[in-house]
Amino acid sequence: MENTKKRLIIKIVILVIALAIAAVAAVDFWTLRHYKEKIVTSPYLTEVKWFSDYVPSLKNTWLDTPVFIFDSGVEGGTVFLNGCPHPYEPASTMAAYLMIENIEVEKGKVIIVPRCNFSGSTEGMAGDAYPMFFSVETEWGEEKYKIGDRYTNPLDQWPDPFTYVNYPSGQNLAYQDIRNLNRTYPGRENGTISERAAYAVMEIIRQENVDIAIDMHEAEILYPVTSTYVAPAKVLDREHFLETGEMVYVEPEESSLDIAMMAAMNIDQFLMKCSASPNTLHGLSHREWADWSDALTFLMETPEIFIDKITGPRTEDLMYTGSDEFLQRVTDKGLTYFPYEMEFGTPMWYRVGRHLSGAMEIINWASLFYPEKECIVSWPLYEDMEEIENQGIDSVGYFLKNPNAPENKDNVFTVYYKPVDNN
Amino acid sequence: MSVTSLTLILLIIMIAAFVLSSIKLKSPDISMVVAAVVIAIVGTFMFPDLGNPTRYLVEGLFVNLDLAMLFIAASLFVNIYAHSGAISTITRGIVEKIHNKWLLMSIMGVLMLIPGALTGAGSVSIFVLGGIVDTVLESLGINKRKRTVFIFFFAIMSAAAPPINLWTMLMTAQANMPYVGFTWLLLVPILIACAICIIFIGWGAEPKDREEVLKKIPEKTEGMTWWRILLPVVTIVALFLVSLYLPWNIPVLGLPLMFVIAALVAYLCNPVKTTGKQWLGILDGTMEQVFPLVANVLSIGVLQSAMAATGVRGLIGSTCVGLPLVLIYSLILIVGPICQGCFNYGCSVVLGGPLIFMFNTMGMDVTVICAALSLIFPIGDCLPPSRIVGRLACEETGYSDSYMSFLKTALVPILAIGLIAVLMIVKPIWFTFLY
Repeated sequence: MENTKKRLIIKIVILVIALAIAAVAAVDFWTLRHYKEKIVTSPYLTEVKWFSDYVPSLKNTWLDTPVFIFDSGVEGGTVFLNGCPHPYEPASTMAAYLMIENIEVEKGKVIIVPRCNFSGSTEGMAGDAYPMFFSVETEWGEEKYKIGDRYTNPLDQWPDPFTYVNYPSGQNLAYQDIRNLNRTYPGRENGTISERAAYAVMEIIRQENVDIAIDMHEAEILYPVTSTYVAPAKVLDREHFLETGEMVYVEPEESSLDIAMMAAMNIDQFLMKCSASPNTLHGLSHREWADWSDALTFLMETPEIFIDKITGPRTEDLMYTGSDEFLQRVTDKGLTYFPYEMEFGTPMWYRVGRHLSGAMEIINWASLFYPEKECIVSWPLYEDMEEIENQGIDSVGYFLKNPNAPENKDNVFTVYYKPVDNN
Repeated sequence: MSVTSLTLILLIIMIAAFVLSSIKLKSPDISMVVAAVVIAIVGTFMFPDLGNPTRYLVEGLFVNLDLAMLFIAASLFVNIYAHSGAISTITRGIVEKIHNKWLLMSIMGVLMLIPGALTGAGSVSIFVLGGIVDTVLESLGINKRKRTVFIFFFAIMSAAAPPINLWTMLMTAQANMPYVGFTWLLLVPILIACAICIIFIGWGAEPKDREEVLKKIPEKTEGMTWWRILLPVVTIVALFLVSLYLPWNIPVLGLPLMFVIAALVAYLCNPVKTTGKQWLGILDGTMEQVFPLVANVLSIGVLQSAMAATGVRGLIGSTCVGLPLVLIYSLILIVGPICQGCFNYGCSVVLGGPLIFMFNTMGMDVTVICAALSLIFPIGDCLPPSRIVGRLACEETGYSDSYMSFLKTALVPILAIGLIAVLMIVKPIWFTFLY
């Protein structure tokens, strides 16, 4: 009897401790889930649309997200830039934010999505112990930005199947890839919430007659396709597929790969490789965007050591500086695909700058190859950021605008899954 | 102090906390959580930037939540199906009709492979079929030690068999690899090793009188028909096929719900009069049965999270990536099972993940290597401190002699699967035709 009572007390104590721990963690989970980032849009902003304007069923879901349109009013090419398809690759979002805040468009139209998988940005990478946020030093203090998951939050899409079958290729992929936005293209209008978001991206590209579509990612340095442009050498013969169901790949009339190769060769500030998109690997932007639209499509990867998993302690500092002893050792053994130097690391400004210059190089070369697609646009580039860094200033913060400054108050936009404040 | 030195200290602390806790609490699962909490706290002092560890420790609980639910749902299905008398009816039918020793052993082996293959847990195979298989093998004149080895070996192979191989699933999830292409890569080596096991166990055995054996197997359940036997199995197979071949025509069900649906069908097909209290007993028994496994996969997630956060995973991973290949080839058959004995499925994270990264970096076929590692790890289920399957097999047959002599006897089939797996690691290219 005595023993039973003692055991019961122990059980109750353990339960109370467990609930207390859960409550502490729940506060963190709630904070990340509902965190709202503020940005100051450039005066060139002409319209803000939402994914739900293209796929209405996404309205009021956590996969709805703002789409920023900067139209010069001068006839030219239309460029689409996609940030945050994988929220755990935060340089992609930061690059998109810097573009949105600093863009000037003289010719053509630019469409930017900074948080493509908003849902994925509302939770951490379970088991990988990512920090929830990273901070950027600015003139007015520290600004906090989210680091999310690779996948759509299971709170918004669950359960996973035992194997994911990509539509319409029928290719089997890992079960969790059903929540991976860069495996669900071209998406389905009435599919899972991630497939609908992917379909919204396709609809943006098709309905807005996008000429150049760029998907911004980050990759581990143990992965061969890090620090690389990926573009298709061949594209699906859509008519043939729709008639017969057979996937046949043909030379495109306009070649993304040629543009990517020229851009890669022309960039001399940092290493940029070029790779052809495999015909047989489905669901990825560089494959499906090209197969299911007329846009020239590109994917860019910057080196991001957090994704390598075999790093030292997973601190915010590591995310921001990318300086890691373990990966230096692995690089010294010749096992990485990037000339990693831990003293320099892979800092956030470097990764953001790569995206800014990498995208600009594509836009410029596409204009040279196909003058009717010319888009004259500007934003800070890698060399601008490097110059600021050389002065000991955080260049990411330097190019951000103060959302609390009176002169910016009309241009402040709160990035969330639905309109808030004055959006 | 360098990050390497600090994380090395953390690794030592983690091992010490795990060993001490294992000795004191006799539970690898709780010990994994204890080790995780200890390195999370010490890690926060060493690297203050890590901040409050509560979030990532709790986050770790969700890493394998789906797997835990799968265990529960699949075990529920198997237990309700067994309660209906379907499994004993099938076994009885087989023993009555089949008189060839080798064929009978093969069928028993295949039957044992099914529950574990469907649930990912070898212990479920033992719970469901261990008793009946023991009876049948006894009738074939096989001694108790060899019967224990047979049940143990087929149980661990059932856990490794497709479609649900948890080691592979955990490793592929870590390495962002698709869990695709493993069916034949796992099945062919398993079938070869199982054939060797059957020959080894059955060699020289003299079958006993059949009627005596039949007396020990439960009578055919009254009202049991073939459609009652087949319908639950057909349901789960149909759900698998529909999910695979008509994925855009049905909502995503997920494996746990698929097994719950099949369990409902098994419930409806049950001819045995069963009271509500008995059903509750089955539910309760199922939870008791799978609780250690659920605890194990949830604990692994917590440890995985703590190791990642503090850099211990990075230390092990970056060290493994640089190890000479010869060392890995020669030690994997020893280190892999020992790691499994300590961490159970956690070995996929502690050792499996880093090895996959290493082989991937070297440009080797990691699908084959991942399958091979998934064949090596289950061997450790007979090793202390956990030795879950080994212990269960001994309990099932009532084997009470030296555990070491059981291990020695088990060495023959273990070496068969181990050597095939090592060959797959050394020459993965030879096996690529299997996927």
